[in-house]
Parts: sequence; C-alpha cells; structure tokens
Amino acid sequence: MGASAPLSPTTVAGASRTPDPRSGQRGWRVRLLALLAITGPGLVAAAAGNDAGGIATYASAGAQFGYHTLFLMVFVTAVLALVQEMCARLGCHTGEGLGSLLREQFSLRVTAVVLVAFLVANLGAMVSEFGGIGVAFELVGVGRFVSVPIAASIIWALVVFGSYRRVERVFLGLALVFVVYPLAAILAHPNVREVLSQTVLPSFVPSQAFLLLSVGLVGATISPYVQFYVASAVADKGVRPADYPRQRMDAILGAVFANVVNMFIIIAAAAAITTRAPLQSAQDAGQALRPVAGPFAAELFAIGLLGASVLAAAVVPLSTAYVVSEAIGTERSVGKSFREAPLFRWLFTGQIVIGAAVALLPGNLINLLIRTQILNGVIAPILLTCILILTNRRALLGTAANGPILRAVGAISVGIIGAMAVAAVGFSVAGWFGVGG
Amino acid sequence: MSVPRRRMRRHVTRHSDLAPDQGQRPRDRVVSVAGLVGRPVRNPADEVVGQVSDVVARWDTGEPHPPLAGLVARLGSRRAFIPAELLAEVRSERVTLTTARLTLREFAQREGEVCLARDILDRQLVDVDGVRVVRAADLYLAGVAGRVRLVGVDVGLATLLRRLGPARWRARANPDVVIDWASVHSFGSAAVTERSGRVAIRLDRHRGELNRLLPGDLATLLEDLGRHERHELLDVVEPAVAADALESMHPDKQRQLLTEAGPPRAADLVALMEPDEAARALRGLSRQQRDRLLAAMFDEQADALRSVMAFGPDTAGGVMNTALVVASVADTVEHVRILLRVKRHVADLDAVVVVDEHGHLVDDVSLEELLLAEVTTPLRELVGPPWPVWVTPNTPIRRVADRMLDAHRLSAVVVDDQLRPIGRILADDVLQALLPGLGPRLGPLRLPRPRWPA
Repeated sequence: MGASAPLSPTTVAGASRTPDPRSGQRGWRVRLLALLAITGPGLVAAAAGNDAGGIATYASAGAQFGYHTLFLMVFVTAVLALVQEMCARLGCHTGEGLGSLLREQFSLRVTAVVLVAFLVANLGAMVSEFGGIGVAFELVGVGRFVSVPIAASIIWALVVFGSYRRVERVFLGLALVFVVYPLAAILAHPNVREVLSQTVLPSFVPSQAFLLLSVGLVGATISPYVQFYVASAVADKGVRPADYPRQRMDAILGAVFANVVNMFIIIAAAAAITTRAPLQSAQDAGQALRPVAGPFAAELFAIGLLGASVLAAAVVPLSTAYVVSEAIGTERSVGKSFREAPLFRWLFTGQIVIGAAVALLPGNLINLLIRTQILNGVIAPILLTCILILTNRRALLGTAANGPILRAVGAISVGIIGAMAVAAVGFSVAGWFGVGG
Repeated sequence: MSVPRRRMRRHVTRHSDLAPDQGQRPRDRVVSVAGLVGRPVRNPADEVVGQVSDVVARWDTGEPHPPLAGLVARLGSRRAFIPAELLAEVRSERVTLTTARLTLREFAQREGEVCLARDILDRQLVDVDGVRVVRAADLYLAGVAGRVRLVGVDVGLATLLRRLGPARWRARANPDVVIDWASVHSFGSAAVTERSGRVAIRLDRHRGELNRLLPGDLATLLEDLGRHERHELLDVVEPAVAADALESMHPDKQRQLLTEAGPPRAADLVALMEPDEAARALRGLSRQQRDRLLAAMFDEQADALRSVMAFGPDTAGGVMNTALVVASVADTVEHVRILLRVKRHVADLDAVVVVDEHGHLVDDVSLEELLLAEVTTPLRELVGPPWPVWVTPNTPIRRVADRMLDAHRLSAVVVDDQLRPIGRILADDVLQALLPGLGPRLGPLRLPRPRWPA
C-alpha cells in the first residue's frame, strides 16, 4: 500500500484541506479508509513501504525459497520496529525532519553522502513504481510504452497542480486489495507446521541467490523513504515529547502490522507457486491470489499493484525533493513554481522522468523490481547508521537518547544488515569477474 | 547597509568600508568562515602552532554586523580561545598571531558570544528583507569600521558544492548568493541551547521589522522554520502580530504550531485571533486538544468560540466574527466613537450595526458615514440606503458571497431568526472559505516595500 498521506503537509501546501467534520455521515467504506489514513504516520508509513517492488520481492521469496525467508522476516520486522521508533522519536523530540537534522548534526560531506545514497535509493524506488505500473497494465493487455509515460505525466500533473489529495484515496482503495493476501495464504492450505518452524527457527539457504533476495527483503521492508517520512510526519503533527508514548506504540505496531501482511504474501506465494524458481512474470506473481480470485487472480494483482505503485510514485519523489531541499535550505513546496523553488521542482520532476525512463528499458520487469529492492537493501545500512548515531546523541535528544541496551541492539542490527549488504555487493562484484556464483 | 539578496560583488563595491584594500577582488576581501575552520594558526615567526576550530563573534553589541571576538583554536590537545586583539592577520588561507605567547585555557563560551561554525553555519536563518527562511551555506568576515566583522551569509548552492571539494577550494571565498548580515535574523540560541545546554542568546534586533511583516509573510516564515526556531520567532514578535500570522498559516501548519505550543500558550494565541479564525483553527484540532485549549481560556472567550463552532465551516455562522460593534438608533456618533475606541478587533470592522429598541437590525452604518457625520448626530439620521447585506447563520458561504457581490458590500451582518445581529462576515472571511477550492496557495509576492518609519 502506498502512503495514504503525502510526506508532509508542507509538501502539498494548500492542496490539503481542513478535516471535514461531517465525515461521520459518510459510508462505512470511506470511514474505514479514513480510519486507515488517520491511524497514525507509523502505521501508514509501514504500510506504505509495501509498494510494487516490495510485493514482487515478497512473492518471489515465497516462490523461490518457500518458507525459508520467514525467519529473516521476523528479524527484519524487529529491525523495522526499532528504526521506525527511532525516527518517530527524532521527529517528536527535535520537531525536525531527518534532512534538516543531517545538515545540522553531521559534517557537510557526510550529509552529502547520505543524501546521495537516499537519492539513489529513491530513484530505485521510482523505477520499481513505474515498473509496477507497467506490470499492472501489461497484465490487462496494455503495453508499458503506452502506460508508463501516460502514468508519469498524470502523476506529475496531479501533484504539481494540487489535485493529488483528491484522487489519493482512489489509489489507496486499489492498493487495499493486498489485504486479501492473508486470506489467500490461508485458502492455499500452506503446511502450517513448516510455516511455524521456519518462522521461529533460523533457516537459511546457503546460496548467493538467497543472500541477494534476503538483502532485497531488507530493502523492501526498511525502505529509506519511509523512515524519512515517519520522522517528518511525526514532527509535522507537532507531537510533543510528553505525548510521545502513544506515538511510540503507533510506530512499533505499524511496523509489526505491515510485516505480518508481508509475511502472508510470502506464505501465499510459497503455497500457491511450487516451482521453487525465481519469478519470471507478473502472471506468475499473481498466481498467489488464485485461492481468492480464481481465474481473475492476475487482474486482482494488477489492480493492487497499480494502486500501490501510483501512491508511492507520488510520495517518493515528494519525499526526495522535500528532504534534499530541507537539508540544503531552499524553498520547498509543491505550490511554488520552477522559478521560485527550482531545486524542489526539478528533483521532483527528475525522479519521475528518470524512474519512468528506466522502467521502459527492455528487460524483465519483475527482475527489475526485485533488483531495485536489493539496491535499497544495500543503501539501507548507510541511512540506518545515521539514524542510530542521531538517536544515540544526548546532545540532541537529552534523556530521550538511546540507552545502553538500545545502542547495543541497534548497533548489532545495523551491523548484521550492513554485513549482508557488503556480502551481497562482494558476491555481485566477484560475479562480474567470473569468481564464485 | 541593507542590501538584501544581492550578489556580494555589488555589495562590496558600493560599501568601500568593507574593503580596506581597494583594488582587490571581492573574493579576496572577504574571509569564508567555513574555509577558515581547519586552517593553520601561525605565530609571528611563521610557525604553525595550531588549527582554527571555530570563529567567535560578539552578539550583544547591537551592531548590524557583529564584531569578531576571537577564534577557537586547537593547540595540541586543547581548544583554546584566541582573542581578536592577538590576531595580526585573518586571511582565507591562514591566521597569524601578534604574539608567540598564549595563555592556554580550555575554551568556554561566554555570554553574548556565538561560535559561528557551530551555532550559525548550516543552520536556519530568516532573511528579513527577502521574507524567507534560508540555511547558511557559508558566512563571510570582512574589515568594517576598523574591525573584522560578520558581514554576510551565503545561501548559494554553488557555495555548498565548494565546501564539498578539497580544502583548497573550501578556503577560497567565492561569494555566490549573499545576504547582508544586517538583514538576517538568526537563532543563535534556543535551538542550540535547548539541545545542548549552551549559553542562550536572544537577538531581538529585527523585532520592529518582523512586527511590520504582512501576516501572510510572517506565516510563511513560521511554516518554513524548524520547531525551536519557529517558537523563538513567535516569542520575538508582538503577540497580536503572532496571532495574525497564525490566522494566515496553512491549516496543517496551524494545527502543528498549536499542538507543539501546548494548551496554555496555544490558548493565549487563539484568544488573540479573530473569533472566526480561532474557530477555524480549533476545528483542525482533535476534540481532546480543543477541550484542553478552551479550558485554558477565559470563559467568555471560550463560549464565544463554542457558539461559532456550533455552525458548519461552510456556513455564515461558521466563519462569522462575533466581535460586533452594535449601537442603538438613539445613540450619537460621539457615543459610537467611544465604543469603537474600547472594542477590540476594531481594525477588522468596516461598519457599525444599528439596532432598534428591541435589538433588531435596522442598518449597518459604514465607518465612512460615521467619519463624515457631525459628532452630535443621532444614528437614526444616518439610517438609509445603501442597505446592508444580512444573512442567517446557516446561509451557505457561496450564497453570502453572491449577496455581497450583488450589494457591492465588503461585509455582511449575520442575524438570528429574530433579526438580532450575532456576527459579521468580512470579504476576507469569504475569500478564505472559498479559496481552498482554487488550488494550492502561492508563495509570497515580491514587491518593493514602502519606506516605513523606524
């Protein structure tokens, strides 16, 4: 699911409206959506991480390695909860987004490295969103050379001309299709004993493919832009330190809730797709929904993928533009023109153009989606290290800084994720020279 | 010396006092603070004795360009303070001392001093003339009036890129987009202090200018600043000005500000807002927050707000201002003038409601009519065309706009079912209620500013 609320109120200044007190009179479906939208930034953000690339990676993990990745997912869930709580705490106690904190707390060079990493990860995410849009339309017979450029233009115009908020709920509704995965997983009659044992007991497959996909799962779950979103969203809500405990629950529960759904995607795919080979097409990926949708599984998958992709395709470039402009200190608002806020506008536009262009390159889209998540997984440790350093700083957070236990747990978690990323990069580089494999 | 948002090149050529060495290029006349950090400190014998670690300026002299107090230098394992008097030369590539003997005491920040690299560089500032929030990419020092002073702040992207390059580039001041320090409002203080317990510096030098900003411009600044800086700015301006700015803020940002301010402070701000605007702001808060905030207000104010909030936000009652000036037909113009003097929010009135002995609406006499009439004239004599626009609280705001347009009036009187006046709607309330449908708000309009008296 994509983020139901844009990155920050400022990013879509003016486009949002005052809450309508009469919303209580509307139908239960709208109320359910509204409930999901206001449950809190943490919940929304965690759910937002589940974009096209994420779904493709989870489905592929199930199809290729069965239930073997479930234990890793439990670990990643814990890390996500840890990181998301830290970001919420930073937002609440400093009242600033991560872009601003990076610039003020780190040297300019470190800030630049982190921002470039963030930019690259988000470009990867944009490629996967447009890949997702391409896949969704290909499933219903529309070529990506038609669908992707049109979708890119529409998303750009919706955000720039301020109508994005009005249509956001439509795509959120489409993306909610993916809540049927738990049902699909149950109807597919998975081997419950195996599921439970693989979830609780560590299980790994000693292969390069497993390592790469594991890094992809880390990248898909701990999406960098989502972490930045959590910090700004909490700061923009004006949550005061005294009211933080509720926010903490929101951040942690959000992470757990989102990842339970993700684990069901893996289970559904593992039970329905028994080839135990990498996913090759969107048709295959959609098969996991067959227990629910029967012959219309592919169409249902396409609908969900479209919703999730469009939502994220609007939020990711906004997030990038907002964070980078915030760090640099230039004008940042969708409401400003290219002349008034050139950096913001060009970053936003550039991400959409490059993302859409790369998604049009010839090749297997599902593979492309998974590769962008691996890229995310390689970049994630850089950003997580910064978040950990920031939350460790007493000078910044005072008594709310990490205690010794959180410091240790954080360092070990980031260390493990970093080691996985280094190993994945190492294997890939070695592979280019014909070593290993 | 107020030359906002101008290239330093022009700035320096116009102000020769900034440049003791005529004939040098501007980049050679100013010293970059970012470039100075890490440069060697040499004794008179040209031996390196340490490295510049920060630049300290005096903040409390009230001068537009703060003088250099000294440098913090890393000498061996110590961070020592070198007062400006001991500096023979401060250049981009090096610093030379006048003496070989230094007292090596660990640096401790004194009251009224600011460490430029630590507290100002890379942090948010307000460009008061340009009405925008900027981030300091570099700070420039130059000789002005016999002392080395902080003269400008660079906010250019090219400057940031220069700082990313090798040390050689970093030292080379290459002014890009420079703002004269005289028109910069800085936050050397609250943000830094609250986080790290350092010395607090409050700089109210721009209080007057900030108070004269248009509410919408001040709102833009408040929206763009970080939390600590926002509340510091809010403290600097007059409470009434702050309330006006709050009225102009984006609803999401308004909600954010009121939430982070906490109930007592938020209640103070809301109490100073127009009742209709206050009601609009309160509608944006959660029920719990709203109740806490209303509980922190005087009962009379809270009740007035509750009555406005009882109506829908798109109706006349929901946007009306309940602060009315009501006079009877028997009252004289003199009496009304006294009333106007004591009533609050008078600036936002364009007419005085005239009622009969039963309190029913008779007319809405414009301030112009009152101004031109003799003070002894009873209001009865001023009753007549043009007749006012009156609406009921449940009239949709679109209809109110139509009626005001038809009657060419700038305001409408809201009456209850007995025709008793209960509030007023001004044209800006109607605009504000209808504008969100027209898309996002545009940024501040840059216009030449009239010369306001100091």
